[in-house]
Amino acid sequence: MIRKGSMILCALLAVAWFSGCATMGASKEKPYRMTPQGMVVWEDEFEFKPPPPDWKVLRVESGENDINFGFMRSDPGPFPSVTTFAYDEDPFGCTAASLEGREREFFKRFLFNAVLQFQILDRKKVQVLGGEGLQVDVEGKDPVKGEKVRARVIFGKRGGRIVGFYITQWRPMGGSYDLSALEIFDRFWGSFRFLKKSFYQTLVEGP
Amino acid sequence: MEGHQRNLYLYDHFNARVVGVSRDDVTTLKYWGNGLGITFPLLSNITSFLGAYFDASPAGMPIFSRRTVVIDRTGIIRYVRDGSPDFKDILLFLKKLNKEGGKQ
Repeated sequence: MIRKGSMILCALLAVAWFSGCATMGASKEKPYRMTPQGMVVWEDEFEFKPPPPDWKVLRVESGENDINFGFMRSDPGPFPSVTTFAYDEDPFGCTAASLEGREREFFKRFLFNAVLQFQILDRKKVQVLGGEGLQVDVEGKDPVKGEKVRARVIFGKRGGRIVGFYITQWRPMGGSYDLSALEIFDRFWGSFRFLKKSFYQTLVEGP
Repeated sequence: MEGHQRNLYLYDHFNARVVGVSRDDVTTLKYWGNGLGITFPLLSNITSFLGAYFDASPAGMPIFSRRTVVIDRTGIIRYVRDGSPDFKDILLFLKKLNKEGGKQ
């Protein structure tokens, strides 16, 4: 007890975090605007080429390991035919030093609510956000539920931190993928740029 | 926990340290922490007295509720929030607290 107490108090400041169950906050309205050039400006921080109008905006309030924002589309066919893509300021994992290290950590938890057997289809270096990035294509299968998912994950850097983009396309096991959605996703992350410093950069460096 | 791990360099910058507290046993926490790549201390408190002390033990339940607590260097609790950690809020608070500390 004394040792534990001193561990907390000997630091200048201490943050204690107790474990428990996740909660989700309320969402805001209309965090984006369109430019005359047809680009979306999201919260005056990000600019990107939007997907076609049949894609709906998807937003999860920021919290531990939640995505920032994205888009989703219901696809023809039986459940679970849906495609979703997103930008994630803090993708799963902790490593900031290497994209490959973060990839290994990320796939320990990616789609962890589903019990999937993943197979890597492709892995290659790409240019993203003005620097070197990593693209990983995977397919996951759940033989028990009879479902499968095709996913592409892009890792890039913003300042000293790794950020991510990903798309998931769910299908029943016998269904076929619509790979044109990957092209829409590629245009999304390919056009993505930052309009200002990140929260984390500003925190240390100032505006 | 991964979020705290990602922010360790910022906690250092603001002279803060982080510890996690759980009711899981040491062996479980060791494997869990290693699996996630956690390098800061995880405290095993199976008897739950720390949860009772910080009012993070729901009655009749063998778990801690999620609660973030910031303690300043004099031992005073300065920040308490329930639910998933709001990392940006925590960092802004630590920045403010560090600034206050620098003036003392």
